[in-house]
Amino acid sequence: MSKSIKLESPLYYFHGALNRKSNTENHATGALFNGEAEYGLVIKEATLSAHLNLRGDGRNPSFCSGVADALGLKLPVIPGTYQRSGNTSLYWLGPNEWLVVDIGGDSEKLEAKLRKSLTGHIAVVDVSGGQTCINLRGPGVATVLKKSSLYDFEHWDNATAVSGRAVQTNFAKASAIVSNNSDGSYNLVIRRSFADYVAQWLLDAGEEFGCRIEAE
Amino acid sequence: MSANRLLTHTGTPLDFTFNGKAYQGIAGDTLASALLANGVNVVGRSFKYARPRGIFGHGAEEPNGIIQLGSGAGTVPNLKATQVELYQGLEASSVNGWPSVNFDVMGIIGAFGRLMPPGFYYKTFMYPKKLWMTYEHFIRKAAGLGATPVEADPDSYDKLNQHCDVLVVGAGPAGLIAAREAARTGARVIIADEQSEFGGSLLASKQTIDGRQATSWVTSLVAELEACSNVQLLPKSTVFGYYDHNFLTILERRTDHLGLTAAHGVRQRMHRVRAAQVVLATGAFERPLVFSHNDIPGVMLASSVSTYVNRYGVAPGNKLVLFTTNDNAYQTALDWHETGRDVVAVIDTRSNPSGDIVAAAKAKGISVIAGHGLIEAQGNQRVKRALIAPINALGTEVTGPVRRLDCDLIACSGGWSPAIHLSSHTGAKPVWDESIVGFRPGESKQQERSAGACRGTFDLIGCLAEGATAGAEAAKMSGYGEGIAQFPCSAVEEFVEQPQQALFLVPHTKSTSRAPSQFVDFQLDVSASGIELAVREGFESVEHVKRYTALGFGTDQGKLGNINGMAILANALDQTIAETGTTIFRPSYTPTTFGAIAGRDVNNLFDPERYTAMHRWHVEQGAEFEDVGQWKRPWYFPQNNETMQEAVNREGLAVRNTVGILDASTLGKIDIQGPDAAEFITRMYTNSYLKLAPGKCRYGVMLKEDGMIFDDGVCACLGDNHYLMFTTTGGAAGVLAWLELWQQTEWPDLKVYFTSVTDHWTTATVTGPNARKVIAKVCSDIELSNEDFSFMDWRDGTVAGVKARIFRISFTGELSYEVNVPAQYGRHVWEALMAAGEEFKITPYGTETMHVLRAEKGFIIVGQDTDGSMTPADMNMDWVVGKNKAFSFVGKRSLSRSDSVRENRKQLVGLKTLQGSDVLPEGAQVVFDAKQKIPMSMQGHVTSSYFSASLGHSIALAVVKGGHSRLGQIVHCPLADGSTIAAEIVSSVFYDPKGERHHV
Repeated sequence: MSKSIKLESPLYYFHGALNRKSNTENHATGALFNGEAEYGLVIKEATLSAHLNLRGDGRNPSFCSGVADALGLKLPVIPGTYQRSGNTSLYWLGPNEWLVVDIGGDSEKLEAKLRKSLTGHIAVVDVSGGQTCINLRGPGVATVLKKSSLYDFEHWDNATAVSGRAVQTNFAKASAIVSNNSDGSYNLVIRRSFADYVAQWLLDAGEEFGCRIEAE
Repeated sequence: MSANRLLTHTGTPLDFTFNGKAYQGIAGDTLASALLANGVNVVGRSFKYARPRGIFGHGAEEPNGIIQLGSGAGTVPNLKATQVELYQGLEASSVNGWPSVNFDVMGIIGAFGRLMPPGFYYKTFMYPKKLWMTYEHFIRKAAGLGATPVEADPDSYDKLNQHCDVLVVGAGPAGLIAAREAARTGARVIIADEQSEFGGSLLASKQTIDGRQATSWVTSLVAELEACSNVQLLPKSTVFGYYDHNFLTILERRTDHLGLTAAHGVRQRMHRVRAAQVVLATGAFERPLVFSHNDIPGVMLASSVSTYVNRYGVAPGNKLVLFTTNDNAYQTALDWHETGRDVVAVIDTRSNPSGDIVAAAKAKGISVIAGHGLIEAQGNQRVKRALIAPINALGTEVTGPVRRLDCDLIACSGGWSPAIHLSSHTGAKPVWDESIVGFRPGESKQQERSAGACRGTFDLIGCLAEGATAGAEAAKMSGYGEGIAQFPCSAVEEFVEQPQQALFLVPHTKSTSRAPSQFVDFQLDVSASGIELAVREGFESVEHVKRYTALGFGTDQGKLGNINGMAILANALDQTIAETGTTIFRPSYTPTTFGAIAGRDVNNLFDPERYTAMHRWHVEQGAEFEDVGQWKRPWYFPQNNETMQEAVNREGLAVRNTVGILDASTLGKIDIQGPDAAEFITRMYTNSYLKLAPGKCRYGVMLKEDGMIFDDGVCACLGDNHYLMFTTTGGAAGVLAWLELWQQTEWPDLKVYFTSVTDHWTTATVTGPNARKVIAKVCSDIELSNEDFSFMDWRDGTVAGVKARIFRISFTGELSYEVNVPAQYGRHVWEALMAAGEEFKITPYGTETMHVLRAEKGFIIVGQDTDGSMTPADMNMDWVVGKNKAFSFVGKRSLSRSDSVRENRKQLVGLKTLQGSDVLPEGAQVVFDAKQKIPMSMQGHVTSSYFSASLGHSIALAVVKGGHSRLGQIVHCPLADGSTIAAEIVSSVFYDPKGERHHV
């Protein structure tokens, strides 16, 4: 097929969306965030990425070392944490379940790599089409998270460049995997079919700070 | 300057109207203080007797100043004037007082209340039943419970989920000190107070703390808290509910003080707080004294008079009579004296009051009349005089002649009742304490403690000490600090008080039943005699008396009247108050708007709408949508003003005659991997998957343990130990949970993992005689011939340049290819298929046509043709049940229960109406004898019914008792309009019964 293939990420139709009241009283007063004083909440959708759901026995040393070999990452076995190296993050989702997100990565190659270094009862499932990773930054983020989730994100220790906290939880009336970043921003992995709802929710929740959605 | 405004008090003037009349207040006023400043006596009418009522209190306890704020969509009913901050242009009216507060029809009728004794609802208005609506209308109108807006609420509300180590409720002296102690430890602290300013009782206090004015002490302490990054201060925020697991709800009024307009952002915010520890410092309410005509405007709480004088600079009258049972209230006489207005006398029920403050009052020349009761107030729309008389030491009898004192203001104090409401919400049973003449909070049921006046500690130094201890202790229990207060005790000058007298009903020269009404609950006109009458009529339980008399039913929820009412009840029952007990308070502490409870979960955010990758294409094509669970699925694609039936006819014929395309992305998809995957799947479905080869698919039915159909779908073998299970759109989440449940709890030994891939794959179903030709145009790497790629096979290949997986599954009975691609390619592939199909007039169709096409083939839809009580045999699907599986399967045993195998079960059949143009309504009942008298014997019902354009007549699926052996019989469907449609029982497969069309 010579015709070019148009790809649509889950938030494709929201790139460039804005929501800001001109007479908003609660202007974001925090530090300028990338010079964007008028937008207290900036949502950036990552480029299309590889998302793989990984199942296996976290107590099995060969599984742990296999994952480490394939991804160059330590398998996080502490609940509610993730490990990161470069563009690749590995989120703990359960005692035998993880999510690999490789920003901009190729899911087929990554799956093959994992399958090659893992043996025994494991599962690797490509879910790249079904979810997307978005970044929330700005002085309004903490409040918007409080509006959206019952979870206590304030209680988390700060993230480092290579690890941080992550939780799979309710987000408004959808679900999300929420994680923190070392720069104080947060990442959300959301499901594609709920993306419109989540985008509308965030634009609404961020209105008091000024909110916009951008693409990476 | 208004008549009652003290010259010492100035501020920005604010205009407002009340009941249509213009007034002026000043910034910082509440509506109540502004009305008092303007000398407005009557602010409402009472519930039963329509008696004129004036402002009585200064906070959440206010029973009379119940107002309607604004008009139109933003109007708010039933606010307390004492809690409404004044703003420029405020408009308010009384909720009660039809037709007007000053000229009241019912007030003139007067004796109307005689028709409404306690229990009047039960006695008067129950019969005849059909008149209840009339009665209710009349009562509601007369009661004036306010008007709800009829338009949509223009305001915005939201919710915040908060977490903290220590939540301090109330920012009076105890709360502020508690917050400071907790904050010092580094704990996360939230402190909330319902008023616009922190300080509580100190805001109206003349006391000094650490040598400073109380108000300035508050200012610096608040500044100290504001500087702490770990402290969140929430003024204008009422903690209105305390629930299990230390979950509390706070209503923050963010813009109410700016006026009724939607332009200011979020009007109210509900904070849903999960607190590790809670300090309740909610203060106390002053208790009114119950004497005859104690409801005439001009009778107020002593502390309220002081608050209006000291905090708002409003003296609500000229000549004050103070009536008290305790030392504390003498402060009001001193405050009043300082305004330069006349203190006529202090009436003290105690025979020899001798505390410091009594002496201070006497020293100012204030006349103190001891051993007396104020037995009756007189006046019409304003107090004109007080009747006083000597009373005995027990406070039960008048013992001497009655004297008259001219006055226009009566301040009364019967002591203080701790505000135990929040502690009571947790289930802690309040404990009566004779020493404070009030209920203290009961034993904690949660991680909470009370401090200060709400615990029965009324002296300032005690409040400060308790607050400090509570704050430090709460912090420690949440993991911070040593648990010992660190700041030095504040130095406070305080009067030493003498004991108060417990007096709940002031005696009159006449008996309670003969004396002019002595009101206990102002809002609902519950009087002392009414409570005694309830006892004479046989009521003993406090909960029953409450409901019979309506004591505490008003919007003030008994904050003023409850203790007096219970004490009067106890006396009438000849019990102690402890024996009588109290009713339990429940949330909400004060009325809460529904808007705040709903938050942002309204309109488009009320419930998520799930979209497929092609959603916007469907929208652009003008599709009508149908809700399937949370999904929006195209229902049909009308063209040129087609009706739905016309569109469905066209879409269906296109599929049968050439080719159609359906967005099937919403079907649930579960990836299953593991060495025991086939065994596990075989245990869940009724048929076997052990021999399903890679590249092959199989249709299966899933049962619950009771043998009833729960879901159905196709399962494909993707490779060794790797399967893909399709579920119904609505059943996806339930099926995944069902698989996990069985794997985790029953068969953990089976090695198998499940992962939802519903959102990953987008599915375009190309179906119809020309489907192969369409696919061939966009896919060159799959051999598409029927021999190479047969019905119920799947293949990997490339479609329109995208790696795809194609299934030959058919839900239409036609040649079908279900093209699956990762969702980011969904729209591209869909549009490529549309372009490829153009020469064949490829027709997008929606769920309605899908339903018609599958019904023509007799394919069931779980949840439409089944209802959780249907076995596979009932659905004529015995062929899908594997009888010889080694392990069994979920539901198998139930299939041989006597009820599952009995004769005459409802069985799936086709119905063909005798008149082909008649379309049976879905849900229509099926009877065998159309002439049978009502009640007729119901024999079944129609589950699916459509007009089939392909067949040229209507078709229906129905479940009919013993239906499988009744083929050819005529049944009847009686309709709601009295007509009957006759139909013949036929096979449920109407179209291509041999299934030749999808095998090509």
